[in-house]
Amino acid sequence: MTLWRGIWAGIALIALGLTIFATVPAGWLWPPQAMHLPFAAWLSAGMKWLTDSAAIGPVTVKGLTRAFATLIEAPYEVVKVLLVDGITEGKGRRATTIIPPLSWVAVTVAAVALGHYARSIWLGLLAGALMAYLAIFGQWDSAMVTLASIAIAVPLGVVGGVVQGIAAWRWRWVERVLTPILDLMQTIPTFAFLVPILVLFGFGPVAALLATIIYAMPPMVRVTVVALRAVPSEIVDFANMAGCTPWQRMRKVMLPVALPDLMVGVNQVIMLSLNMVIIASMIGAGGLGADVLESLRRLNIGGGVEAGLAITALAVVLDRLSQAMSERVARSEPRKGNWWRRHPRTTIVLAVTLATGALGYLIPALQDWPKAWQITTKPFWSDLIAHINVNYFDQLEAVRVWFLETLLLPVKRFFLALPWPFLLAVLTLAGWRLGGLRLAALVLALGLFIAASGLWEQAMITVYLCGLSVVLAMVIGVPLGILAASNQTAGRIIGTVVDTLQTLPSFVYLIPVVMLFRVGDFSAMIAVVLFALVPAVKYTAHGLRSVPAELIEAGVVCGCTRGQILRKVRLPMAVPMILLGLNQTILLALSMLVITALVGTRDLGQEVYAALATADVGRGLVAGLAVAAIAIIADRLIGVAASRARAKLAAT
Amino acid sequence: MKMGYPMAFAALAVSAGAAFAEVESTDPIKLTLHDWTGQLITTNIMAAVLEEAGYNVELVQADYLAQFAGLETGDLHVAMEIWETTGREAMDAATATGNVVVMGETGMLAKEEWWYPEYMKEKCPGLPDWQALNDCAEQFATPETAPKGRYLGGPVTWGGFDEERVAALGLNYEVIHAGTDAAMFAELESAYQRQAPILLWVYAPHWAPQKFKGEWVEFPPYEPACYTDPAWGPNPQATHDCGKPFGPIWKVAYKGLAEKWPGAAKAVEAFRIDNDTMGGMIAKVDLEGQSVEDVVDEWMTANEALWTSWIE
Amino acid sequence: MTERPVKLACRHVWKIYGPHPERLLAGGAVPTMEEIRQSDHVGAVRDVTLEVAEGEIFVIMGLSGSGKSTLVRCLSRLIEPTGGEILYDGEDLLKASPARMIEIRRHRMGMVFQHFALLPHLTVLENVAFPLEIQGMDRAAREARAREVVQLVGLQGREGNYPRQLSGGQQQRVGIARSLAVEPDLWFLDEPFSALDPLIRREMQEEFLRIQRQLKKTIIFITHDFDEAIRLADRIAIIKDGAVVQVATPEDLVLAPANDYVAAFTAHVTRSKVVTLGRLAVAGLPDSVAGTLPGAARIEEVAERIVSADAPFAVERDGQVIGHVTPAAVISVLIGRSA
Repeated sequence: MTLWRGIWAGIALIALGLTIFATVPAGWLWPPQAMHLPFAAWLSAGMKWLTDSAAIGPVTVKGLTRAFATLIEAPYEVVKVLLVDGITEGKGRRATTIIPPLSWVAVTVAAVALGHYARSIWLGLLAGALMAYLAIFGQWDSAMVTLASIAIAVPLGVVGGVVQGIAAWRWRWVERVLTPILDLMQTIPTFAFLVPILVLFGFGPVAALLATIIYAMPPMVRVTVVALRAVPSEIVDFANMAGCTPWQRMRKVMLPVALPDLMVGVNQVIMLSLNMVIIASMIGAGGLGADVLESLRRLNIGGGVEAGLAITALAVVLDRLSQAMSERVARSEPRKGNWWRRHPRTTIVLAVTLATGALGYLIPALQDWPKAWQITTKPFWSDLIAHINVNYFDQLEAVRVWFLETLLLPVKRFFLALPWPFLLAVLTLAGWRLGGLRLAALVLALGLFIAASGLWEQAMITVYLCGLSVVLAMVIGVPLGILAASNQTAGRIIGTVVDTLQTLPSFVYLIPVVMLFRVGDFSAMIAVVLFALVPAVKYTAHGLRSVPAELIEAGVVCGCTRGQILRKVRLPMAVPMILLGLNQTILLALSMLVITALVGTRDLGQEVYAALATADVGRGLVAGLAVAAIAIIADRLIGVAASRARAKLAAT
Repeated sequence: MKMGYPMAFAALAVSAGAAFAEVESTDPIKLTLHDWTGQLITTNIMAAVLEEAGYNVELVQADYLAQFAGLETGDLHVAMEIWETTGREAMDAATATGNVVVMGETGMLAKEEWWYPEYMKEKCPGLPDWQALNDCAEQFATPETAPKGRYLGGPVTWGGFDEERVAALGLNYEVIHAGTDAAMFAELESAYQRQAPILLWVYAPHWAPQKFKGEWVEFPPYEPACYTDPAWGPNPQATHDCGKPFGPIWKVAYKGLAEKWPGAAKAVEAFRIDNDTMGGMIAKVDLEGQSVEDVVDEWMTANEALWTSWIE
Repeated sequence: MTERPVKLACRHVWKIYGPHPERLLAGGAVPTMEEIRQSDHVGAVRDVTLEVAEGEIFVIMGLSGSGKSTLVRCLSRLIEPTGGEILYDGEDLLKASPARMIEIRRHRMGMVFQHFALLPHLTVLENVAFPLEIQGMDRAAREARAREVVQLVGLQGREGNYPRQLSGGQQQRVGIARSLAVEPDLWFLDEPFSALDPLIRREMQEEFLRIQRQLKKTIIFITHDFDEAIRLADRIAIIKDGAVVQVATPEDLVLAPANDYVAAFTAHVTRSKVVTLGRLAVAGLPDSVAGTLPGAARIEEVAERIVSADAPFAVERDGQVIGHVTPAAVISVLIGRSA
């Protein structure tokens, strides 16, 4: 052990020396031109072939994907008619409504009923209050557009995920093929596959829906595999002994038994779909995401905040309802009587829908919340930022300059001055030490891919920006997690803040951040830290909370003070969980890359974004794959470290 | 924007049909929407006019440059604003395929140039002449760029040759690229609130020159030779020793538009609007907070004679 | 005991886990424990040959990890054995097609599980009716049949409850009812009472014997509890490391353990619980007898009567008197002096 400690210290010294004193020959600093392989051109050509000439029998691939798009569009149109458009006569501006969409009262009552059904009247009231908030703050129409796309994306994502999950559970080779694909789907920035989606599925809401589904589906696949594996083997044996065919076994035994676990996946799909709202609106999803973007383009900060909070409100409603439903699944009580007795809530909702639909003609307020009654906080937010800007800019500027000069610039210089063969060798060595030859080979291959893609410089800027942000997120997040775990009130407040941060689109705070800190790496770092903070806090708190009570009691019996218990018992036990949190923090930081490109960084995110703007399929995918490569290297190295830490704890 | 539901429309076609003039095809004509207000207004006006003529119109959100892929295949039909300054190359590449045709100018002229707020004139009296820029470089400097001045350029994707311009004209400035125009104007807003120095890329028609008082820097005027011939301009050794090009904003369409909807193609070609009218409408939306629909309705009512001439 | 036809027989059944299990058995080889271990394999079931007679309660007893659960899963072919044959009414199950196997399981096998394996989303009635639903029986018929078996296990009135609303003992009654719904000939019980509290376990054992007296199934019963084994079994197979150590009646096991391993189990067993009168009977009849008792009766059941009587009892088997038994002989068993 000591030998290796010495070796690592030596490597660190060499790195410092190399970056400060040595002048490295050009080909050693960044991979030489001769090494670059034209991945982008290959991918572009492949994509062109796929869209122009690839065919399965007489049907072209593009024809197939277009047909698929039409298939999805139909239910989407129906939901949109229900929630947004109603049935209209005429087209476009001349359209007059014949049958209005569901009124805000009806949808709100439905939310209350669903909350009551899923758990309690309190949950119902919370859901209802948040829906009413959408109406009162004038976000209703956009929120319903967003809800309509969620209502299509989530079931499709869930069904697709479950089907793939079943296949992966059933056949090992499917799992072996799917795992790396899922890794890529989750780590390649969404922007990178927007252009191929546009080409294959056409422009418009369907493409946005598909992008959302692709982004939100992977966790469902994984959850399905885990959930099916978690079905007790006795129950599988029973199904076989009862003489089930494989199909009966899956439909009547496995899936129903796994349902509570599967609902966790459904919840994830919902939350990820909401994360995609903004990006989806860039390719035509409309709704709240488009409102956020549009407000910010006009520097209407208040408007952006309100639309952003509306997304958060929608997220809270859907999150709480789906969580309650997953707990509810396990305790259904049969009811007796005729239909409306057995379904009292459905009856009420239907009655309210019809009543408000009809009365809406007489009392429009029942159909649409009147504009005159809308409340807005928009000026408050804009004035707040203006106030800070005018009065505290100099102090903020001093903070920014301090961070830039003492932290960001030196680290950036360090990473840009590291010779690439050296860094690659160190990473490979780390992979070998932690996970053996296979991991070393994987790390080396991914590193060489980045080197050969010609994006080494951008990759280094990415590593520097994400690395620093992750360190800061951990420095801020771990203590917050400790605080949340040791004090209930603090825990609740921190929990709320963290949940809001997770669902509030980062675009909302990006523009105020730029106003206060200018464009550049510092603003980007703030945005990344705010977003990536969430898992650092959550996993730390969870790790500390789940330390067995016996161990803490043992510490108390030994006469430990509270501080000693935290330092000597709880924190060491929570290390594997905190490492998992670190892993998630890194992945989230990388996923924020493209967003940071919007405030002028020059990293891989910018490359992806630039490719999107020029519809360059290959360039975007290569940059996306480079991001994925960095993510996978970090994920595997830390994953192995975490499981080693766990094994060590288990051994003692 | 409420879109008719096709099935409902089919069911009600008998009663509704009478309201429309005869058109060549009731298939929807797809117009692209981008992410700046002026373009939303232009496109919505065009859509409203086509609807008045009885066409079925669909508005599709599409990226400014990514849309050409759709225009070439006929997924999309009309793009109302292709700027000479930013879209010329993509437009030329698309027309070269033969599937996209230029539908003439919109009547608006695109202007893009270095810009500063009016209050900077006190601190730098030589402006707007570009030669005064070097005297005021320290005024425009920030801690990271000092002693050089800081010029906030557009997103990298916009191109614009600002690095080349700085080098060719010997300007003591560093070009910092904003990631998006939202970020760029956020900095302008911030600086303007504090009356702080700022020098950045502004374009028109846009709400910023309407909202903030300021001026364009006057560089040697652009000529195509300036970008290709080093001998041209004040620096005989370098290209790009001049201002940014300016020029018309074009309309383009899928070639199938004129075949399937000849009347609509004529209307698109006839569309004309000028910078001032557009600037006024952009200000109404972006600064006064009116909705695009309302502003377009207002224009439609006030200019009925004009647009009816486009669809006759 | 009269010879009854063999219901289930297994011959030289093996289950070896590892990279190439079939190679170890190639050409009818019989690998030793050592050979298996050295080639990085694990022998979960080794060369097991058993015969279970119709109507018999056959207990497979072994400690945890002995391979008894694997063995019973090989017998029902939930686990594919590496080698051997399993004959059910003369048909080799290992040669049955998947469709044939489904058919056999649907109609002729039932199984009860240690942790009940009830479906949490179904009511008691639906759980019991589930195997019938799988067969495609219509709702009315399967629910009628389910009500019958629910009644058999004494759960009437709880049909509408969900498993989580029942106690452990009640849940296992549901498990038993469910396994009996299809009226199987062959009934597997995999440690059915191990997860229950001792008092409930006792009660369930009584219940099980009651049901068996009524239905007379052929039963393969797995347990790690030797007391349970001797209480319930007609015959017991003791297995260790995947192989059968001894197969015998409880009485023979106790009186003549095959080796020290078996003896260690039987050492603490109260003899009176296993020894039958037939074993104690002395040939010939005294002048006066207090009565006649069956030779199959265990001492424990009849000790009270014999000891409190003032004369010996005659012992009969199959209607024939085979001898007599004295109170002194019974007392010596009761106090553990001899057998």
